[in-house]
Amino acid sequence: MTPDSINFAAYSITVPILLTLGALFCLLLPLFIRQLRGTQGLIALGTVFAALTFLRRAPAAELSFFSGALLLSPLSAYLWTFVLGVLALVITLSLVRPSAPEESEGEYYFLLFMAGIGLMTLVAAGDLFTAFIALELLSLPVYALAGIRRSKPGLEAAYKYFMLGAFGSGMTVMGIAILNALYPALTFAALKAGTPQPMALAGFLLVISGFAFKTALVPFHMWVPDAYEGAPTQISAFMGAAVKAGGVIVLWRLFSLFNGGPVHEIFWWLAVITAVSANLMALAQSGLKRLLAYSSVAHAGYLAVAFFGGQKGFEAVLYYLPVYAIATIGAFAVALVLEKGDKGPLIEDLAGLAKRRPWLAGAMSAFMFSLAGVPPLAGFFAKFYAFSGAVNSGFTGLVVIAIIMSAVSMYYYLKVTVVMYMKPSVGDHAEAPAGVAEAVIFLLAAGVILAGVFSRPLLTLTTEAARWF
Amino acid sequence: MEFITNPLSLMIILPAAAGLALLAVPADRTGALKGLSLAATLAVLLVSLKLYAGFDPAGAAMQFQLDRAWLPSFGINYFLGIDGISLLMIMLTALLMPIAVLASFNYIKESARAYYATLLFLEAAMIGVFAALDLFVFYLFWEAMLIPMYFLIGIWGGPKRIYAALKFFIYTMAGSVLMLVAILWVVSSNHAATGAWTFSIPALYGGALTAQAQFWLFAAFALAFAVKVPLFPFHTWLPDAHVEAPTAGSVLLAGILLKMGVYGYLRLAVPLFPVAAVTFAPWLAGLGVIGIIYGSLVAWSQRDMKKMVAYSSVAHLGTVMLGVMAFEPSAVAGAVLQMVNHGLSTGALFLLVGVLYERRHTRMIEDYGGLAKVMPGFAAVFMIVTLSSVGLPGLNGFIGEVLVLFGSFKVYPWLAGAAVGGVILSAVYMLGMYQQVVFGPLRHTENKILQDLNVREWLYLLPLVIFIVLIGVWPNPLLRRAMPAVNNYITLSRQQTAPVVPEVKIALGGKEQE
Repeated sequence: MTPDSINFAAYSITVPILLTLGALFCLLLPLFIRQLRGTQGLIALGTVFAALTFLRRAPAAELSFFSGALLLSPLSAYLWTFVLGVLALVITLSLVRPSAPEESEGEYYFLLFMAGIGLMTLVAAGDLFTAFIALELLSLPVYALAGIRRSKPGLEAAYKYFMLGAFGSGMTVMGIAILNALYPALTFAALKAGTPQPMALAGFLLVISGFAFKTALVPFHMWVPDAYEGAPTQISAFMGAAVKAGGVIVLWRLFSLFNGGPVHEIFWWLAVITAVSANLMALAQSGLKRLLAYSSVAHAGYLAVAFFGGQKGFEAVLYYLPVYAIATIGAFAVALVLEKGDKGPLIEDLAGLAKRRPWLAGAMSAFMFSLAGVPPLAGFFAKFYAFSGAVNSGFTGLVVIAIIMSAVSMYYYLKVTVVMYMKPSVGDHAEAPAGVAEAVIFLLAAGVILAGVFSRPLLTLTTEAARWF
Repeated sequence: MEFITNPLSLMIILPAAAGLALLAVPADRTGALKGLSLAATLAVLLVSLKLYAGFDPAGAAMQFQLDRAWLPSFGINYFLGIDGISLLMIMLTALLMPIAVLASFNYIKESARAYYATLLFLEAAMIGVFAALDLFVFYLFWEAMLIPMYFLIGIWGGPKRIYAALKFFIYTMAGSVLMLVAILWVVSSNHAATGAWTFSIPALYGGALTAQAQFWLFAAFALAFAVKVPLFPFHTWLPDAHVEAPTAGSVLLAGILLKMGVYGYLRLAVPLFPVAAVTFAPWLAGLGVIGIIYGSLVAWSQRDMKKMVAYSSVAHLGTVMLGVMAFEPSAVAGAVLQMVNHGLSTGALFLLVGVLYERRHTRMIEDYGGLAKVMPGFAAVFMIVTLSSVGLPGLNGFIGEVLVLFGSFKVYPWLAGAAVGGVILSAVYMLGMYQQVVFGPLRHTENKILQDLNVREWLYLLPLVIFIVLIGVWPNPLLRRAMPAVNNYITLSRQQTAPVVPEVKIALGGKEQE
């Protein structure tokens, strides 16, 4: 190891340690020091920013720790930055609009941090078993977070999410057990080198289904609409932006173990079924959060299309994740600003928003057009990169299906802008004056508008990171 | 710096920046908003004059080129440049924009700030489409243009605006997504052949694509452009969009946006896939002629003036498509000229309908009559524009139509013959409308107090009338500049003359048939 890499590794390992400390602080300190109650959010935000300062540009090498369980590389540095960014946004949104009852605020940030650490481990995991443990560390806190308000829809969300998630975990464990029986080492590198065996296919399929649950590929998406709708909006944003990213990275690792063959065929079908059915189901939604839930499922389908582009496709995935996260968190933040009940606003509740709050409506349209993939917004560039890889590898049919479905998706994204701009306001709307939440929304809107046209710096980073998966 | 010193790039950046600047003006300062947007569009017009002056009429190459790496890992460049055809289209855009802004001064009462900013963003995107020489940049502007137009129709449009706006957006978008796949395919196969990633349009001309591939690629491009032109039977979004859009929206929709479809055939679909183009050309020309007849017949039966003008656009663009698909110098040149003519005369017609609508809030023909007595200035302008639209010799429409018909007669005698019938029909319904609106007794008392054109209206109608007459008597400056580009287009389309029908295997009842 060069001093460079030792430096990098030391800084990197500090990040999860810092987050763990921050989590414990949030959970325990207010129990002993009464004055600190209510400041957990600030402590959490401070911790994340402190952690961000420990991120370093990675040397061009892959460092493996704990006998290959954890891989630190430019890829992990890229994805950890992404995770910390999402955490910072979610915490800021939780600060301005409390999502947990006052007495469980400590638990809220503790759980959020645990999920964050789980996600960071998941994307850097070097073997299947670590990936599974990381997945559990990610999932269990999010189940609890979904129901932290203890409201009826919240509990329903948590319950459904937990039941189906536990089922998915069971499948993953079963698959890992089968694979372990066949291959003594479960690192991805060893699996790639291993001789193919018929039983192994069953194991891989079970593992893939388990992670497809987290990524919300159809038909493993059933939990998504209810969970997104019932969870606190900040947590819905976290699920859409971050949890999905973890699943996508592991799925990509599994996908790249193979060169064609039945596993790729299954991914082909997953991508097609997801893109087609999610977009069709989204057409019928009337709740804003449900709409975003189905949109997140559809985007998982586009990401699966990108898998077929090989190296270029993975670069596209790495570009896609933050761009999608920005638009989705932004849209959820708008839902957060407008929500009154437990389930978030209906699409109709946005009527006349352009008159009442033109800037907010403008930002929301930017998110919608970006998710729909209309240039010059970043979402278009993301889709372009994702699809161009697949076309280069000869999967034109797949791209044609995905792109036609993305034209269908136009309808439900446009529906939101129609309501905001072309329908009059109904009822009285005494909304809170603009504050930090709006500032975050405008920041994200600027990101969506600029990240596409000026995507060169981000592309350089993704190219560098994609070499080290 | 070159982004600003290059006039093409400047014409894209200037309106976009002005649109952003407009958003910083307080929303209630309508005077400042109007002034600023008018100044911005006039500035673009000024730059376009510089473009015209600096353009070498005999030059066959792309002029005013700007080529800067943008996304090098994909071979995407910010590559701009124009030939004679794009020059005329950009000039037309630059001319119609200040007119559209002027025509909106009284019409737009609500959210004026957003309205003028939207218009300016639209201008940037429209010029971008005509100036782009990189496929990615072209597609970017092509699609980006939908957003401002969608809002123009949807927010400031008529009673059925939501339906019209959604239909416009989804039709156009659905038509063009397959073009994106086709673009990716072209670039990817070019990479396979040459080893270089490039989206540059000139570099992709003459690529080695099989007839089979060209067939599908051309079909994907042709669909996107056919929706935009709009060719029969892809035209159904047009009447809705035109009728519901505010006057300025209709003017730009008819004047510029429809031309983009034809421009797409001229710049991309035909030169990129000449083998397939030859196979498709008679069918597209045929659809164009069906559009002429069908559009004219439907226009004839309309009682709403705006709808009538909208359907007459279908007919006029049919003529243009006939010329473009004839691959005959005079026909193509006529089609290019006719694109300019249609922008001027149909733009003026929409403005005139808008003038009446602002006064009476109705567009029904039977609500008018005898306007010559109360609005003599209006009647005179309306007369010139109507005659230009029906192709009276001495006015611009005649030159374009005659060139198209003469040129295409050599290639498609029957189609050209049928198109002549459409020209006659256009005279019937346009003159019929003119007569019912302007002549006869003043049947409606409300019409007795109508004001004639005011200064602002003269200001935006007069330039159009001047150009209508000027091009009618002296079209050479425009034709001379377009000719090298037209010849390039024909050379590119003749790279392989033998039409190749691809093998399409259709499975029927389990048996495979050729």
